[in-house]
Amino acid sequence: MTSTIEDRASRRPTLELIKELEQTLYREVRLLDQERHDEWMEMLAEDLHYHMPGIETRYRRDKTETLHDLSRMCYYNDDKSTIQLRVDRLKTGTAWSEDPPTRYAHLITNIEVEPTERPEEYRVYSNFYAYRSRNERDEDTLVGSREDLWRREGDRFVLVKRFILPKWSVLLSKNLNVFL
Amino acid sequence: MPVNGQVSSGGDFGKLIDLEEGWIDRRIFNDQKIYERELQQIFARSWNFVAHESQLPKAGDFLTTYMGEDPVIVARQRDQSIKVFINSCPHRGNRVCFADVGNTRRFVCNYHGWAFDTAGKLSGMHAEYGYDETDIDKSQTRMQPVAKVAAYKGLVFATFDPDTPSLEDWLGDFRWYLDMLLDNEEGGTEFIGGCIRSEFPANWKFGVENFIGDASHAGWTHDSGARATTGGISFPDIDMENSFHSSVNGHGWEFGTEGVGDIAILGSPAIMEYYEKLRPKMADRLGKMRSQIWGSVASVSMFPNISFLPGISTFRIWLPKGPEKFELRTWVIVNKAMPDDLKREITKRVMLTFGPGGLFEMDDGENWSNCTTVNRGEVTRRQLLHYGSGLSRRVDDHPILPGTVYRGQCSDANQRLFYERWVDLMEAKSMKDLPHRPQPRMTGRETRELIGVSAL
Repeated sequence: MTSTIEDRASRRPTLELIKELEQTLYREVRLLDQERHDEWMEMLAEDLHYHMPGIETRYRRDKTETLHDLSRMCYYNDDKSTIQLRVDRLKTGTAWSEDPPTRYAHLITNIEVEPTERPEEYRVYSNFYAYRSRNERDEDTLVGSREDLWRREGDRFVLVKRFILPKWSVLLSKNLNVFL
Repeated sequence: MPVNGQVSSGGDFGKLIDLEEGWIDRRIFNDQKIYERELQQIFARSWNFVAHESQLPKAGDFLTTYMGEDPVIVARQRDQSIKVFINSCPHRGNRVCFADVGNTRRFVCNYHGWAFDTAGKLSGMHAEYGYDETDIDKSQTRMQPVAKVAAYKGLVFATFDPDTPSLEDWLGDFRWYLDMLLDNEEGGTEFIGGCIRSEFPANWKFGVENFIGDASHAGWTHDSGARATTGGISFPDIDMENSFHSSVNGHGWEFGTEGVGDIAILGSPAIMEYYEKLRPKMADRLGKMRSQIWGSVASVSMFPNISFLPGISTFRIWLPKGPEKFELRTWVIVNKAMPDDLKREITKRVMLTFGPGGLFEMDDGENWSNCTTVNRGEVTRRQLLHYGSGLSRRVDDHPILPGTVYRGQCSDANQRLFYERWVDLMEAKSMKDLPHRPQPRMTGRETRELIGVSAL
């Protein structure tokens, strides 16, 4: 089903809607930074796809599509059940690399909202800057962009798809124990 | 507790390792001079893993990697052979290729436009009129080639030292074990597309020794991963009677014989079912013992810096980047004959468990990092480290298992024998002097030499 230009114009996001989605993104990372993972899980749709590809450096003339090819190695290629496993690990009490706890701050910027073919779903672009600090002086910063699909469910939005595009090639960190 | 004595880092490396009682001097993990000797004595002379043949299917396909800290280009030639040469222009030394992978007819330096063919030979340059005929012999000018390239069942290795023993001798009887990974099904193996790289503030040997024999850490370090994937059940205790360490020339495989432990970590019934159906055919192909070992709780490292988990399908190298830093490069290795949806499932599950964000991998880095940097303490590093687990459990002349065999998977045996090989290389004046550890049983099985071979 294709939508006409008129349809799309009629669904152009209002300021109110943009504000609501912005607040949703901010609330999401506040829950993550406060390790309130169960509440965060409630923001995820049952049909979630959470995807972050590995990054290869290639010459411009090389047109090989690698970013959306799910048969390749990805940092994350998760559905809600595997995200749940990651959250369950944190709750075991024996996730040693999270005890003492890591200090996290996610900064979310460059938010844009676009309508999609489905009236209840919106595409949301954003950039992230995630800072992590552990123990004495372990420090990491992770920077990238995201392309999300959020679906209206009653009086809230749930995350249906997240495509995370990291801006590093070699991850300059001993692990990736952070949701982005 | 013993403390270390005076050992100069210029020689006497045997004094850093006490194999009899199982002690190791901490300085091997963060001393700059020892690290520099490792680059000279080990990485500049060993067979370094550079590619899986499946990464370079067509002429002109290339990838870039490192042998020690030396950057190299690995490229498939028109005659199907694979050439390996240093990624540095002979003119001013600039790095020539900046892509991780690709396909090309030539490599051109950004600085003065010096152009090289896929074998690394100079073919021309920008402003060539600046050179008179006698100024340069183009036919003799090239990016520095390695001394030898060879492959074993898909894995491509290169060495800078012409005196390094053949790959066949280097691997020795370890091929008996290696075939469980590389030859358990008709068609052999391939790498899945992509390579995930991450940098750890830790000494490279901690990654290697962890995979070569450290079954003991799994139940503690990775308890959170085990409990998350099993709905709350920790790793079972190791069966010390029916599990082993085996070491050949510093390569080591630690393994159980229960057949399912590593496969189960992936948490996928489809993957388990595939291997269970394959197991009888594996027994015909490799014998009953190996078909029972395959899939068991196991981990492997090959000297000096290659590791993998058979059954879990992660394959990796630990590239040295200074005494306190390494880059981990990981791939997913699968059987070519597997259906595409199973390859995809394995890839997904490997990343879920042993990617940088993996349920198991996540807890390793912090240990290795702190094991390394704590030794900046002058007095801290004087205390020797204990490597004495399983000193007396050696099994002489096992009827089936080749190599130096120790009973019991929770052991430091493979680790000690890795460091014995480390001393061999650190001290050997010539690679011709390297001893067999132990004397090989297998003979007459050739690994393919890739130089000048027209078909693979």
